[in-house]
Amino acid sequence: MTEEVASVESLTLTFDKIDAPALADVSFCLNEGESLALVGESGSGKTSLLRLLLGLLRPTRGKVRLFGQPLDDVGGEELRRIRRKCSYIPQDPFGGLPPTLSPLQAVVEPLIVTRPNLKYEGTNKAKELLSDLGIEEALWNRKLVQGFSGGQRQRIMLARALITDPKLLLADEPTSMQDVSTRMDLINLLKVYLKNGMSMIFVTHDLLLAKAMTLRGIVLYRGRMCETGPTHLLLRDPLHPYTKALVSALPKLGKPIEVKVKRRPLPVGFKGCPYLALCPYGFDRCKDLPPMKQLSDARSVACFMGDTSQGT
Amino acid sequence: MMRISSLSATYPNGFNAVKKADLKLSSGEILALVGESGSGKSTLIYASLGLLPKGSSVSGKVFFDDIEFFALPKEGQRKIRWKKVSLVLQGTMSSFTPVLTIKRQFLEAMEEHLSLTPGEAMAKAVELLEEVGLEGNFLARYPHEMSGGQKQRCAIAMALCCDPDYLLADEPTTALDVITQAEIMNLLKGIAKRRNMGILMVTHDLALASSTADEICVMYQGCTIETERSDIIIKSPKQPHTIALVRSLSMMEE
Repeated sequence: MTEEVASVESLTLTFDKIDAPALADVSFCLNEGESLALVGESGSGKTSLLRLLLGLLRPTRGKVRLFGQPLDDVGGEELRRIRRKCSYIPQDPFGGLPPTLSPLQAVVEPLIVTRPNLKYEGTNKAKELLSDLGIEEALWNRKLVQGFSGGQRQRIMLARALITDPKLLLADEPTSMQDVSTRMDLINLLKVYLKNGMSMIFVTHDLLLAKAMTLRGIVLYRGRMCETGPTHLLLRDPLHPYTKALVSALPKLGKPIEVKVKRRPLPVGFKGCPYLALCPYGFDRCKDLPPMKQLSDARSVACFMGDTSQGT
Repeated sequence: MMRISSLSATYPNGFNAVKKADLKLSSGEILALVGESGSGKSTLIYASLGLLPKGSSVSGKVFFDDIEFFALPKEGQRKIRWKKVSLVLQGTMSSFTPVLTIKRQFLEAMEEHLSLTPGEAMAKAVELLEEVGLEGNFLARYPHEMSGGQKQRCAIAMALCCDPDYLLADEPTTALDVITQAEIMNLLKGIAKRRNMGILMVTHDLALASSTADEICVMYQGCTIETERSDIIIKSPKQPHTIALVRSLSMMEE
């Protein structure tokens, strides 16, 4: 029996004074042991979605449930208790770590805040995580403010997130500053935790990485879901023109990049398909919002070209 | 041709970041300088333009066509930069002055290096913005009124303002999404061809390098270990480090 870990339903978030919603009508469900990728460019609402899931932001409309508990009627101690089962890796490794601590202290901290008696075991576990992630022993006790690179900081943040054995990991672009070799260390470590039952929501703009890390993905554009499906199919057989552009823009070894987009400014308050801003096709119908169409158990797409993916 | 020959660079704290590096950049071609963080890529290009911090020591030679750069007096070197070779810095996000309009920042560079009337300078700025795919009215904007991709285009336009023969770009697409990255790469390719300009692009992304550059030079621990045509280096890499880089990328793509 797999249990639901997180779910959102018709989630909408509007910021004051900004006309376009940051998120509109996003729904999905994540079960125990599952991993889900949120894919899209900057400004597509990926980070806002993570913050809503943690109750750090409150939705304008829609529902968030964590471990079966609706977040709209919990607060205070109860919310903190739920959050303790989650870990969050923020996007910015320079702002996301306490500068006055050493890597070792920063990694143990989340564990001993709630369980001070685990200090000894925690320190050992932190050392193990840091060496798994290639942070040399000579650096363990140096203060974080004393010059760690973005890549090193990201690896320290991952260790800090994993030390509590979270049930749910929310990771916001956790490998963006890694070199190819160290990136594999991160990916391999995350896979071990996934195998042991952790669930994960993985935010990235790189579909290749999404495929390496997750089985299912949601492609977001300007806050709306364009396409959902198994990540290997999103990569191999994308249906939405935005997913297609994302796939074709990925640099592949030895192949020239070809990307088919057409930038056109949309009028303020435009209510139609948001992707019209980039879409190389663009029909009259796109002035209306395309509904999310379910094509099979696993795949849905929101485009008038839909399942046939043929132009008119 | 821009040629770097046996260049070594040591920072004031004694760190020897570049060790006897060699590099050749031909007109009309894109050369990608590839390596992991800390391999000395950025140091190599800053050192080749005499831009390392005071107290650093640099040895070796750098030629722009037949001019030997380090043999020139300070003022002569200053004239080479911008007019013969220009630089697009890493992190364009913060490389513009936030309190001045784009127009002001453009004109500053042109007034300093070209003797143009204000009218001519304006016309040239508009022309350059159009070359990189931006409208002329961007001149009135402040940096915060542009997206990351627009700022990057603008930085490239500014680097072209003295019609240099060579352009050095340090990680021109970090922090940009893949679609914008693809557009910037195509822009650089177009510029290299149209202006018969040699472009040196620093990147840690071998896949990006191989899909854009004519030639790839791999750096490892301060040394330039392998230089080869892009299509050849990814099929038959020779150095162990290059082999490892190619293999780990193929694993991701499999």
